[in-house]
Amino acid sequence: MRIMQHPILGNSEPRKTVKFTFDGKILTGLEGEPIAVALKENGVMIHRYTSKQHKPRGIFCAIGRCTDCVMVVNGKPNTRTCITLLKEGMDVRTQDGVIAKGEKIDGKI
Amino acid sequence: MKVTYLNRDIALGPYVPQEDDDVIICRCEEITKGEIRRAIHEGMYTMTEIKRFLRTGMGLCQGQTCTRLIKNILQNEMKRAVQPNEEPTPRAPARPLAMENYGKELVK
Amino acid sequence: MERYDLIVIGAGPAGLSAAIEAAETGMKVVVFDENKRPGGQLFKQIHKFFGSKEHKAKVRGFRIGQELLQDAEKAGVEVHLSAVVIGIFPHLGITVSKDDHIEHFKANSIIIATGASENALPFSGWTLPGVMGAGAAQTMMNLYREQPGKKILMVGSGNVGLVVTYQLLEAGCEVVGLVDVLPRIGGYGVHAAKIARTGVKFYLSHTIVKAEGDKEVTGAIIAEVDKNFKVVKGTEKHLDVDTICLAVGLTPMSNLARMAQCQMVNKGGAVPSCDEYGATSIAGIYVAGDVGGIEEASSAMIKGRIAALGAAKYCGYITEKEAAEKFVVYHTDLNKLRQGMFAPGNKEKMTCTKTREGYPLSMNLLTKGFLTEKELAVFPDCLQEVRGIHPVVECTQNIPCNPCQDICPMHCICVGEDITNLPVINHTQKCSGCGRCVANCPGQAIFLVEQGEKEDHVTIPYEFLPLPVPGEKGCGCDRSGAVVCETVIKAVKDLPANDHTVLVTLAVPPGMGNTVRFYKKEGGVI
Repeated sequence: MRIMQHPILGNSEPRKTVKFTFDGKILTGLEGEPIAVALKENGVMIHRYTSKQHKPRGIFCAIGRCTDCVMVVNGKPNTRTCITLLKEGMDVRTQDGVIAKGEKIDGKI
Repeated sequence: MKVTYLNRDIALGPYVPQEDDDVIICRCEEITKGEIRRAIHEGMYTMTEIKRFLRTGMGLCQGQTCTRLIKNILQNEMKRAVQPNEEPTPRAPARPLAMENYGKELVK
Repeated sequence: MERYDLIVIGAGPAGLSAAIEAAETGMKVVVFDENKRPGGQLFKQIHKFFGSKEHKAKVRGFRIGQELLQDAEKAGVEVHLSAVVIGIFPHLGITVSKDDHIEHFKANSIIIATGASENALPFSGWTLPGVMGAGAAQTMMNLYREQPGKKILMVGSGNVGLVVTYQLLEAGCEVVGLVDVLPRIGGYGVHAAKIARTGVKFYLSHTIVKAEGDKEVTGAIIAEVDKNFKVVKGTEKHLDVDTICLAVGLTPMSNLARMAQCQMVNKGGAVPSCDEYGATSIAGIYVAGDVGGIEEASSAMIKGRIAALGAAKYCGYITEKEAAEKFVVYHTDLNKLRQGMFAPGNKEKMTCTKTREGYPLSMNLLTKGFLTEKELAVFPDCLQEVRGIHPVVECTQNIPCNPCQDICPMHCICVGEDITNLPVINHTQKCSGCGRCVANCPGQAIFLVEQGEKEDHVTIPYEFLPLPVPGEKGCGCDRSGAVVCETVIKAVKDLPANDHTVLVTLAVPPGMGNTVRFYKKEGGVI
């Protein structure tokens, strides 16, 4: 949930809303906020599944150091969503191992 | 320069499984506490050896999260302090970057 | 390749302070930071800092950050953001990764001010989404205005755990409990008291056993530990939470110093061994801030300036004498912060039983987060029957802090030369009831009390929304957060000079003036 009124930080300034896709679904967020924040606001907790144990991971350090929040953004895997800022039309996908979840590789790997 | 070698004549005793052996320690490479402790008992007596044997600290975060945890596990198993120069050697690049970017040098 | 007099790595409080000081001596300085924004952790600190005027006491961290940025701009400091220093070499060259390429730089001196990172605490289920660092929660709510979760368990009772818990409450989250494996709260008693009075429960000598859930955190299991920190079977408790924050310490990020082949020592992690100026074993390389040893932002800013003196002296921009003169001033300021019960390296922190003045420390404050009236009674000026409106200063541990002394226009409160002294009320002065002490105490430990025949009035510091309104009826809570009486709001004062610490005056039954310390709306919610 967004904190629109904060006892110390005051009221939030009006900001531009942008559309982006998450696993093909259209969601909205604020332009320039980290992708991870926009996802959290939309109730998304799982950013990726690990390679070995296929366990879910999400935000851990929120500062670009732990790499647990990485997703495939505009086709690029291992993108740290806590420090990558949201832009209109971004394509964000749950990462599974090192590729997008559900993506097919033609047996080349 | 005085060179000192690690005394490898160490008797750690048999490996005793613990309750928390399946807790993940290296989050990036999904390596558990039990795997690390087993590796130490098999003769990986330094952080660098553990790293090369198990790949702890070689994942995407490059040991940012697990290094201190592994140091504590090693200290507990070996019953000695791990000195700063025994931690895995940091080498450039300190943070991961794409090869194509590493090869592009801006010269002014 | 671009050459500078000084390269500063890290644009946090230490790095920026170092750059400003160096630029003022005439050095050509450049600062590199891997983040998109400068300021390090400073901009997440929405609480008022401690210390004295020189340390910018009673100013909120992020405002100190804003001032620092302005000073850096004025001094003409060049700051490169999103610039990662990926290599540092003993000949004082660095490689920086920016955008899609790398660049090389050389300097006559380098200051490493890369700060520290949060520690991890492994336990069953700790990799589930919903388990995060306390700093992560701070980043989300204070930088991006997003609640980290709805019901939080905080692990760790050092200052970070205590301060972030309070900030979670300010952000509208519920903090279900605070757990620490040690038998005593590690951070300031006043920080603990701020959250205890809202009802947050402290579980000392407890550890987290498991984060429950399949895809995300749905609960937590905590359990008591014995004096060897082993879980006591049968004491497991389930807590209903969706978020678990870890505040279990910080470790210096000293990899670059090791890469540069500085000699290292163990000081809460590997840190470069250095002299009083921060000079490492490699000529021309200095350290400043948390990377040289964990302290606080106020200390980091001073250490940055001291390292800059070292670099300026080394490069010939100031003389030995000039450096030494300024060093004395800065070092004296730094030392003032390194005093008291929570001084770095104070081995008695977990065992001491008295303040320096000889008053018995409140054991309840150390284990449950709040003073009992019996314990408070031994401190003079608390729980007294005094005529007229008067301040009650519930500050019972020696910490370096003195804004209460300077802020009172009537000079009612005195701390003295040593800023770790407990504040003392000057009874020859008459309190005007302005409430500035209440609003400006960084520990929110001062209250105005006025006892009367029909009712007592208590003025409390308040930093929550929605603000109560005069005439509103609600609940008066005691120091433990328990509702002890009904109350009516007499006054609500939100003055710009008090920077968002609102003064709320409550009318409580007569005799309750020394008991009520917090207000909750009808229904018992903040």
